[in-house]
Amino acid sequence: MALAFGALFVALVLCALAAPLWADLAGRGPEATNVTGKIEVDGRQVDVVSLDGTPIGPQWRSEYFLGADANGRDVMVRLLYGARNSLLIGIAAALLTTILATLVGLLAGYLGRWVDAVARSALDVIWAFPVILLGVALATALAVGGLQIGPFTLEAGSTAISIAVIAVVYVPYMARPIRGEVLALREKEFVEAARAQGAGPLRTMLSELLPNLSSTIVVFAPLMVANAILLESALSFLGVGVVPPAPSWGNMIDAGVERLVTAPHLAIVPGAMLVATVLALNVLGDGVRDAFDPRSRASWGARRP
Amino acid sequence: MTSSRSFLSAVVLALAAFAAAGCGDSDDGGAEAGNSGGSMTIAQTSQPDALDPALAYTSQSWEPLWVVYTPPLTYRHAEGQEGTELIPGVAEALPEISDDGKTYSFKIREGLKYSNGKPVKASDFEHTIKRVLNLESGGTYLFEGIEGATDFIEGGDPKADITGIEADDATGEVTITLTEPDGTFSNVLATNFAGMVPASTPFENQSTKPPPGVGPYEITESVPNRQFTLSQVEGFDIPDVPKGKVDTITTRIVKSTSRQAQDVIGGKLDYMQDPPPTDLLAEIKASHSDRYKDWPTPSTYYFFLNQSIPPFDNEQAREAVNVAIDSTAIARIFGGRLKPSCNVIPSGIPGHEDPDPCPFGDPSAAGDVDEAKRLVEEAGVGGEKVTVYANNDSNRPQIGEYYTDLLNQIGFDADLKIIDGAIYFNTIGNEKTKAQTGLAAWYPDFAHPGSFLQQFDGTAIQPTNNSNYGYVNDPEINKGIADLLKEPDVATVADQWAELDRKAIEKSYLAPYGSEELTTFMSDRVDFDNCSLVHPLYGNDYTSFCLK
Repeated sequence: MALAFGALFVALVLCALAAPLWADLAGRGPEATNVTGKIEVDGRQVDVVSLDGTPIGPQWRSEYFLGADANGRDVMVRLLYGARNSLLIGIAAALLTTILATLVGLLAGYLGRWVDAVARSALDVIWAFPVILLGVALATALAVGGLQIGPFTLEAGSTAISIAVIAVVYVPYMARPIRGEVLALREKEFVEAARAQGAGPLRTMLSELLPNLSSTIVVFAPLMVANAILLESALSFLGVGVVPPAPSWGNMIDAGVERLVTAPHLAIVPGAMLVATVLALNVLGDGVRDAFDPRSRASWGARRP
Repeated sequence: MTSSRSFLSAVVLALAAFAAAGCGDSDDGGAEAGNSGGSMTIAQTSQPDALDPALAYTSQSWEPLWVVYTPPLTYRHAEGQEGTELIPGVAEALPEISDDGKTYSFKIREGLKYSNGKPVKASDFEHTIKRVLNLESGGTYLFEGIEGATDFIEGGDPKADITGIEADDATGEVTITLTEPDGTFSNVLATNFAGMVPASTPFENQSTKPPPGVGPYEITESVPNRQFTLSQVEGFDIPDVPKGKVDTITTRIVKSTSRQAQDVIGGKLDYMQDPPPTDLLAEIKASHSDRYKDWPTPSTYYFFLNQSIPPFDNEQAREAVNVAIDSTAIARIFGGRLKPSCNVIPSGIPGHEDPDPCPFGDPSAAGDVDEAKRLVEEAGVGGEKVTVYANNDSNRPQIGEYYTDLLNQIGFDADLKIIDGAIYFNTIGNEKTKAQTGLAAWYPDFAHPGSFLQQFDGTAIQPTNNSNYGYVNDPEINKGIADLLKEPDVATVADQWAELDRKAIEKSYLAPYGSEELTTFMSDRVDFDNCSLVHPLYGNDYTSFCLK
């Protein structure tokens, strides 16, 4: 099951990578509007967007395969380019979350004392906010002026802002279990043995603790990607994620909601892609967890009638 | 007046034809037919820019505030041309104007009280105008012609005197002296900015706790971004100003126009200020035509082009935009509710002339993208970064996306910035934003060509709340506006206003694309036939609303 959904996720990634090829077939890019254009349907010329603003539906051919949006753009092309943005932000944010959470968890768990107190307080503060609320607040605050940290500048409206916001918001969800595991591991004999042999904190953390955290990190990773994609879509839906005209599934759903009656495909298609991706990642994540934690699989199996 | 999206405003003078039955009895102030009492719940798409008469300057805020803050003069509550007639409001009679056109005198009505029961004093008028000037309101330019107003603004001291306003609380007399004659000043005294507030009103934005006013309604609740409530004021009595019929009108902020329309169909909302979304319009027209109507407005929808900074400080770059625009494409995004045009002064306003031909091509035909590309190349601005500003109100992001793509097609490197509707015009009207180009719309403050062209008056540019988004500062146009505003009879100089309009569009100071049709859509609870008066300047008149 997990392998099948893993394959589905890989297929989605490959489709996203193939977006430019489909755009070539369709004859237009993801941001190219065509409000007053016409296409041939059953031998007659038909408006891509009618005079009353209703876009054409799916044509099931390279041009307008999934129909057009209100600006006459090709929905299939935008869907594939949207997948690129959603997946890029999701994977990059999950990666950043993993790095930050591992760093915070390791330092807080191993060094303890004031480092742990400060880290726990910071994580509690972030944890205290609902994810979407915090994401919207941060994204809105950074949407105007961007963010500058030392030599690094994240320009307002850039994809990097979304990645940074999503990554920060999810750090506590991964850092807390990692810290808990480090607290347990640091009392183990092999850690004490390393310290007795003269290993400093950095070497102990990197050589002894980190390898033992790998299964936790690997189990979390796909779930973090799924959560990050969902949050990116929510932020874009609320207008603070990917900035139009660049497509993302979230802003495509947002635009489609206003046309659910006359052009339901505009919201349904990106919504279905989002569900498929998140489902694939969640099932994959469960499979990875089972693979790394046989007890979990055994106990599930034991409960079956 | 700016509109962040659709709505309000001015039904063309010539379109008096749609006067609604039953609501237009001018002798009683109109709109007195229909049942009284009950409560209505209505919707706006975003929080109005302000619920403070000194600062409010969008159709979203002017529609409700018109029935809360009555200025010295006001307009008859009637449709069509009749609705553009000035009548006394807080003033006892229309002002006496001196022969040189510089002095306006009027007397405050005796016994008039604010909604909190306190008496209205003549000195409140000076305080009302001081707040507009001191808060750097978008309406500042309307009052800068008062003697001493500029000194008051520059001094920054709210306690200072405006030498050109004399008010006598004992007699109720107010005398205003202007530095130059201003043929529109009676209309200025009828704008919402002059809506009287007590002299105790602080010099800060009072949107969360709107001050008392003189009007058929008072704002009794204001929760930003959620709702505000208008309650009928007992004892309000100004001749020709209707007292209103519904006890309370609660306006909810509902971002989705789809949801608004569904709720109006289902009876959860009684009226939506914005037009229903394109998605539902056809069904509403077909199935609910007994409670839906649309009406043309003398509005101007355009893209502003900031000529104080590159690339639109280059005339050819601006011309390229005008050449490329396809108004028919934008009309489709509007769901067919846009009449393409290439004017600043729209149809129905004195001074409107259909340029024949339009300088950059027929607005009812597609734009010439190839020619625009050539102009961009020739101007040497190809590849320059341009940020397009748009707000997030209904269909505005789509127009912004269309415009961004168009700029990219003709050779710019454009991206889009979408700002919340509640702060959009404050943002682009702030000098520090340095907004290069974006969406704008103008509804008249009064039915006068000056109300349209004054937004291109360089002398009216201000650092915040600026309405001259393109920073147009052409000495010839500035002088033309100043000279023509002195003329009390606009009909005699309509040709000259038209000439100024032509100059503005020939120099591509903006890129106009049309006038919007607005709508009235109400629930089945409302007596639509008798109680849905559309005022030419303020849109749907809340005093006309009544339930079946």
